[in-house]
Amino acid sequence: MNAPDRQEKFVVPDGVKKVAFQPDTKVANAGSFVIQREDHTIGNLVRMQLHRDKNVVFAGYRIPHPLEYQMVVKVQTNGKKTPIQAVHSALEDLGNEVGDIRTKFQQQLEQLNGGGGGLPPPPY
Amino acid sequence: MGKTKKAAQPKAAADEKKAAAGDGPSTSYDTTLPEKLELARTRVVCGTDMNLHTTSTIAASQWGSLGVDASFDMARFKQDFSIDIKRYEGDDMEFEMKGVSCAVANSLRRIMISETPTMAIEHVYIVNNTSVIQDEASCGVLSHRLGLVPLKVDPRLFQYKAKEDAPSEQNTIVLKLKVECRRLPNGAMENDKVYSRDLIWLPEGSEMPDETSCRFASSQEALVPDGVRPVHDDILIAKLRPGQAIELECHCTKGVGDEHAKWSPVATTWYRLMPELALLQQPRGQIAEELAEQLPGLLQLSGSGENATVAVGDVRKHDKLLEKARRLSGEERYAPYLQLRKIKDHFIFTIESAGAWRPHELFQYAVEVMMSKCDKVLEGLQAFPQRSF
Repeated sequence: MNAPDRQEKFVVPDGVKKVAFQPDTKVANAGSFVIQREDHTIGNLVRMQLHRDKNVVFAGYRIPHPLEYQMVVKVQTNGKKTPIQAVHSALEDLGNEVGDIRTKFQQQLEQLNGGGGGLPPPPY
Repeated sequence: MGKTKKAAQPKAAADEKKAAAGDGPSTSYDTTLPEKLELARTRVVCGTDMNLHTTSTIAASQWGSLGVDASFDMARFKQDFSIDIKRYEGDDMEFEMKGVSCAVANSLRRIMISETPTMAIEHVYIVNNTSVIQDEASCGVLSHRLGLVPLKVDPRLFQYKAKEDAPSEQNTIVLKLKVECRRLPNGAMENDKVYSRDLIWLPEGSEMPDETSCRFASSQEALVPDGVRPVHDDILIAKLRPGQAIELECHCTKGVGDEHAKWSPVATTWYRLMPELALLQQPRGQIAEELAEQLPGLLQLSGSGENATVAVGDVRKHDKLLEKARRLSGEERYAPYLQLRKIKDHFIFTIESAGAWRPHELFQYAVEVMMSKCDKVLEGLQAFPQRSF
């Protein structure tokens, strides 16, 4: 009855920014990113990629409330990079990683094509 | 530097071991890690009551104190990553992915389940329903059942329809169901079961445009030359008795699994970690014979009597015995010899499509969606200049 419209899960409303950044007042080189209309799919991925960065001291994400479709990523770096740079390079690396997955999958499909005589037909 | 000198020797030995390991982990660091840590880093040890080392330790600073640089390196990823399609029959695909973290595998799985669109019946306009399957708003069992019928049509040909949009040939598919059960003169019943094959596509659009406000400007025949039909012909929708009839019109729209599970394109898709059976020490003699007897195929016996030894066979082929091996590894008699492990970055991915998409298309689409998500967030980040703080 009070559940929000399912469309709200992925459509960013007008006037609201996709990403908002708040530097942390108490800790140096730290800040929180509030990302609208994203969930664990990208949250866990970005958090894991941030951990792989040498310059990141703290990285974590949470979804404050399951009915409010936004995600908060908190990042603290060691000063050699700013949190914004860290998240930026994490996302770019992820994009490249996934691009590589796509290429290799395509190659495998072609091998299946050439070798076995094509992809199997749909059963129906 | 002292550390790199020490690294040279174990590296050569480790490379050899890696070559011999075959199905071993593919993310290798210049393995200066002692064996125990390497085990904790790359394997989940499966015990009978709990599993050890279940977290993925991929933080860059993880092994910093040991001098190992574990930060992300694109070149190393490209080298270590591989995909191998093992089986592709009809709508089932099974492939192995080596060298990725579980976060990537999980995200791909989530996207395939909930963010890949399909077409499914959304609005049902009921002209006549005298069957026992209810259709009132609060218990629309018939409509619910119709919504779950998978349709064989490429959703990429259509556009999403927002609530305020009018239904048109770009965003709606119209199906009709009209079945009446009669008793034939010879006593048999005709049409007592309503199957999904009774759903007929109307490429011209709704037959009751005034009630449904659905008017097509042109026929959809050109858009979908193969026609629209349910994936399976024999899904039972309702049962009728003589005198009962169902007459209704279904309007299908494009949606994603996130909104309702009927729009999920996969029967399901899942992954599991690659299993590995390790012999902690070589069992000899009678114990070897007992083990080979308990786990035929998985453990291959050679020699006999006092000189009996076992070797581990193909783990994938003898999948079903692995849980037995896990149980045996908990028993006092066999515990020193057996250990079931899972390799943390080697996934066996299975995709079972519901019929609208081919499994390989699903995976390719999921990868595209993931890239576009990263791009969307990057775009949002552009608002903040990089150098500022």
